[in-house]
Amino acid sequence: MPTTIPTEMPLGVPQAAPAHDCLLEFRNIRVVYDNAIEAIRDVSIAVPEGGIVALLGSNGAGKSTLLKAMSGILYTEEGVIENGSIRFRGDDVHHLAPDELVRRGIVQVPEGRRVFAALTIDENLQMGGYTRTNAEARQRRDKVFALFPRLHERRDQIAGYMSGGEQQMLAIGRALMTDPVLLALDEPSLGLAPLIIDRIYEVIARLRDELKMTVLLVEQNAQRALDIADYGYILETGRVVLDGTAERLTANEDVQEFYLGISRAGRKSLRDVKHYKRRKRWLS
Amino acid sequence: MQYLLQLLISGLAIGAIYGLIAMGFAVIYKSTGLVNFAQGEMTMITAYIAWTISTTVSGNVFVVAIGAVLAAVLLGLIIERVVMRPMLGEPVFATVMVTIGLAVILRSAINFIWDAYPHGLDIGMGRGIVHLGGIGVRTGQIGVIATLLALLAAIWAFFRYSKIGVAMRAVAADDRTALLMGISAIRVHALAWAASSVIAGIGGVFFALSYDLSPAMFQLGLKAFPATILGGLDAVLGSGLGGLLIGITENLAGGYIGSDMKEITGFAMIIVVLMIRPFGIFGERDIERV
Repeated sequence: MPTTIPTEMPLGVPQAAPAHDCLLEFRNIRVVYDNAIEAIRDVSIAVPEGGIVALLGSNGAGKSTLLKAMSGILYTEEGVIENGSIRFRGDDVHHLAPDELVRRGIVQVPEGRRVFAALTIDENLQMGGYTRTNAEARQRRDKVFALFPRLHERRDQIAGYMSGGEQQMLAIGRALMTDPVLLALDEPSLGLAPLIIDRIYEVIARLRDELKMTVLLVEQNAQRALDIADYGYILETGRVVLDGTAERLTANEDVQEFYLGISRAGRKSLRDVKHYKRRKRWLS
Repeated sequence: MQYLLQLLISGLAIGAIYGLIAMGFAVIYKSTGLVNFAQGEMTMITAYIAWTISTTVSGNVFVVAIGAVLAAVLLGLIIERVVMRPMLGEPVFATVMVTIGLAVILRSAINFIWDAYPHGLDIGMGRGIVHLGGIGVRTGQIGVIATLLALLAAIWAFFRYSKIGVAMRAVAADDRTALLMGISAIRVHALAWAASSVIAGIGGVFFALSYDLSPAMFQLGLKAFPATILGGLDAVLGSGLGGLLIGITENLAGGYIGSDMKEITGFAMIIVVLMIRPFGIFGERDIERV
């Protein structure tokens, strides 16, 4: 039998109620698409105030679905929260409209940046501040420009012509315009050069350290995410299979094997990995 | 020369009406991604309401104008709320089919609510003739051209500078991301339907001033559609200019080749344009969704 079964495996029973300093909390969430496909099965995740929580997992694990549920846009893809609740500052918010969630301080930077390509950088930022008054939006914009001087230099340019890294900065800046309490980022490192990824992660760390922002970080790039996160969850096929502090996850042999690409016994062939995956209990 | 100028000016005047209705198409397409095949019918309803106001309440220009604008806003909002909002998130094709159904219903509504006879809209304006360099031009024709130009400028400024105008472009570009930024797509769509109804309705009222009201007026939509394809479905200003182009071309073709040509010129033009520039002369992107 494998000796590396994770000890923190949730058993699908409601976890003990987290402390009240928990800003955002998914409780036993179940998401179904098209009345048929179960994308998320009984997932509970807690995001404490002022920390960075990483949500790791491969393609199709359900990470983006969780963020869509959080932002109230599941309905655009025929998705429904069938069970459970999403609590923000103690209130159940899973039924709220997307604009109301933004007003309450939840915002996400969508996967693939999704800047408004035909709009200028200024206009993109203006749209981020849509729910705020013009005066508030101007103040926020100055802060965003201070964080990303590059955006200030190019403010009248069309967003679609910027490089991937600049677009990611714009996408983050645009989300910051909403004056968020909780910033969720969906794969901010996707398709970017390592050097650019470093810059993006520096900014994310600064948001937590200087602006006391709470960050929910969704990544496939587990190494990067665990480097700055305080706590992490690993999702596979719609379930949380492992969770723990970033240090514990980094030290976990399975995480090293499958997410960090480190192997105790030197390099392994693909056949070994397949064999190992077959034995892995949580994938069944 | 005289004949050519006469054709050009009347072409511009009818083209301005096409242009206004074409802008109605483009406003809805730009913010919702839909082609509204009931645009001509909505135009017709607004013109009929203007006529009803002029005959029952008052023939005063301002009363009729304000009443018609309010009626057009209401018509757009009701259609958005009752017919289009339930279709939100359904496939584009199904939603466009709904607008075709709506077109047939509105067309029949004319016979239910009003009657099948032609009527003249008389508000004491628009039918006088002004002589410009030996060419007789109706004041209504000058009025519609001026209105089109003024609206073109106003709409350009609206999309460029106003927050809600930028939001309409953002929703058109990526509606899900717009939702994530807290932009209510529903409100933007409602505004688009109201604005489109008003812009096209103005065209309809001007048409009724120069020509007559009749249940066949919905065909204006069929004339304006080539204009918006020509200018670019997502280009509101381009659609307005496309209308002028179609108006002039069909008038010249009608005047020099034969009046039968008038009906087909517009469509002949869009076939050529679509072969060369599938997204229209002023369009920004491929309109594959239609």
